[in-house]
Amino acid sequence: MSETSLSRREFMHRGAGAALLLPFIVGGCEKRMTAAEAARTEVPLRTLTIGEGSALSRLGSLLVPGSSEAGLAHYIDHQLSVPAGENMLMIRYLGVPAPFTGFYRSGLKALNAAARQRHDADFDALTAEQAQTFLADFAAGKIADWQGPPLPLFYFVARTDAIDVVYGTEQGFASLDVPYMPHIAPPSNWGA
Amino acid sequence: MDAVVVGSGATGSLIAARLAERGKKVVILEAGPERKRSDLVSSTLWARRLKWSGARVIETGSRPVGHGFNAGFGTGGSATHHYAVWPRLHEDDFRMRSRFGRGLDWPISYDELRPYYDKVQLEAGISGDAVQESWRPPGAPYPMGPVPVFGQGKVIARGFEKLGRKTAPLPLAVTSAPYNGRAACIWDGWCDAGCPIGALANPLTIHLPKAFAAGATLHHATRVTRVLTSDDGARVTGVEYAQEGSGARGKIEADLVVLAAFSIENPRLLLASASSRHPLGLGNAHDMLGRYIMSHSAGLVFGFFEERTEPYMGAFGGQLVNQDSYPKETHAQRGGFGSYQWMIAQAVKPNDLLGISTTRPDLHGDAVAPFMKRAAQHFAGMTAVVEDLPVADNRVTLLNERDAQGEPIASVAHDAAPESTKLWEAAVAEGKEVFAAAGAQEIWSGARGAMHIMGGTIMGRDPRASVTDSYGRVHGLANLYVAGPGLFPTSGGVNPTFTALALAQRAAQKM
Repeated sequence: MSETSLSRREFMHRGAGAALLLPFIVGGCEKRMTAAEAARTEVPLRTLTIGEGSALSRLGSLLVPGSSEAGLAHYIDHQLSVPAGENMLMIRYLGVPAPFTGFYRSGLKALNAAARQRHDADFDALTAEQAQTFLADFAAGKIADWQGPPLPLFYFVARTDAIDVVYGTEQGFASLDVPYMPHIAPPSNWGA
Repeated sequence: MDAVVVGSGATGSLIAARLAERGKKVVILEAGPERKRSDLVSSTLWARRLKWSGARVIETGSRPVGHGFNAGFGTGGSATHHYAVWPRLHEDDFRMRSRFGRGLDWPISYDELRPYYDKVQLEAGISGDAVQESWRPPGAPYPMGPVPVFGQGKVIARGFEKLGRKTAPLPLAVTSAPYNGRAACIWDGWCDAGCPIGALANPLTIHLPKAFAAGATLHHATRVTRVLTSDDGARVTGVEYAQEGSGARGKIEADLVVLAAFSIENPRLLLASASSRHPLGLGNAHDMLGRYIMSHSAGLVFGFFEERTEPYMGAFGGQLVNQDSYPKETHAQRGGFGSYQWMIAQAVKPNDLLGISTTRPDLHGDAVAPFMKRAAQHFAGMTAVVEDLPVADNRVTLLNERDAQGEPIASVAHDAAPESTKLWEAAVAEGKEVFAAAGAQEIWSGARGAMHIMGGTIMGRDPRASVTDSYGRVHGLANLYVAGPGLFPTSGGVNPTFTALALAQRAAQKM
């Protein structure tokens, strides 16, 4: 096994200020961008449907304000498309077997079903007031006839994912005045 | 080959190094991918790639062991992302049955293991203060001075002091000063993502380079599927493996086989290696294989303080330690039995399973941002490592279900003895008391987490009641060894890596 030996100083100076860049397919070509940019420029989702992405984005924004703008749906969508060993989602710690698409899909389906049962509308079409009341019950595990994965688990996963995209990046640390102090910064644009 | 070592983690890499240094022809087979120090990205998200992504493990019982978080996969195994908290077990941990009538006895004493603790700490380097750490059993002084204490550690220490209790520097296998050509740590709290600068003693830094320098080789993405035995079943002859990706299978013959694939995979593999001569699996003539799986309960206590606490500074494992509750009967009045220690002031990141945000999973919506802003500068936390009494029915078994490679899937069942639960409750209560004494403005506790996985292939004198002898040699098979915390008959109330390495050092000299 070869080993690239880097001094501490080299590590410290690597990529300060780099954003969380992921490869997305744009016009048939791979392009590296942040999940937020992917959301902003409406890069097509590759695993989730438009409706699933929209529901996930709305859920995230209610759980952790700012997560939708940070590209939560695109981030999750991207992560669901990579091999299990490369996946960076918290769900891999939680005893849920890979692949994880089924978990998210059934949770979002249950979310929409519950929203339709209550308000005759999909989750992402709820009014602000309806959404807040719904979310309070969702967070408390009080959605009647929930048909998806265990509700407390789905809440924890969704919230954690939203926290990740808002606070788990260098920008997120900076928003809290927490120094990032990377040895090796998350991969930056390699010119792709 | 002279030896096949299954798993490239802490104990596997040490044993491979020691054998290769003696001129043995050694191959290490690692199921996971290659990881170099330059792959260890400083990110809580990238860090998750270091964790288990091998075959599925089914967890049952009221206290799942958290295999997905606690197991590693790839070069260095779980030691690549471990936090290097390296305290020693205490004398009573080795003689619980004979001294207290509870738990089990080890087939060795602390005194017999002591020189190996000393040798490993000199080689790997531990930062600490053996004088201040008055609870520590006898042993050589630490080769490096203590790790620094930042704001978080100072405020919590104040609480212990007000209650008439003491703290000491947490013994960490992390460099507080340049050591053996390794740089000193810069206390940035990225240990969970793996240490790329060599400050933390992981296999990529300590034993794998020595193994390679002595001629050992390492094959990644190579999963051992079976340990092979002679026709008469008296000796192991080698291993069978499957390559990740291609699925190609092969065999390697060896005079010696060492299983260092962690506490779940080792018994799974032994069970899956059943043959006509060993119908219940290797080392399982008396149905002891897979039993006594243990997992420390994490007692998590958090608080807000008026002072700025710099919670992001320091090592992920912590800054200070308290072991006042180590004597087994300290909390007998509350129904608890066993030991715990406090790891004080872990460096925390905003997100992730052990991050600030997860300490209050109930918060959502507009409540998140003000909490995170306040916590980023005023948060403090500490973790109790609470002993898990060994229970025979906490065990690894094989299911009929097969994984993607056609191998039987492991199921691990784990429930806690009532005394262990009472002990955890006592720890959390004490932790809150400490925080109140420290002047915390708000105090809360976390969910009862699971950390470290031990047992499953316990050592013992009686082959009817254990799987291996004190060297990890499987009863009835002179050339098959097991290494790692799976050998532990008791868990103690300390992190297992240092003890696992001391056992491995001792065993390697015997092999």
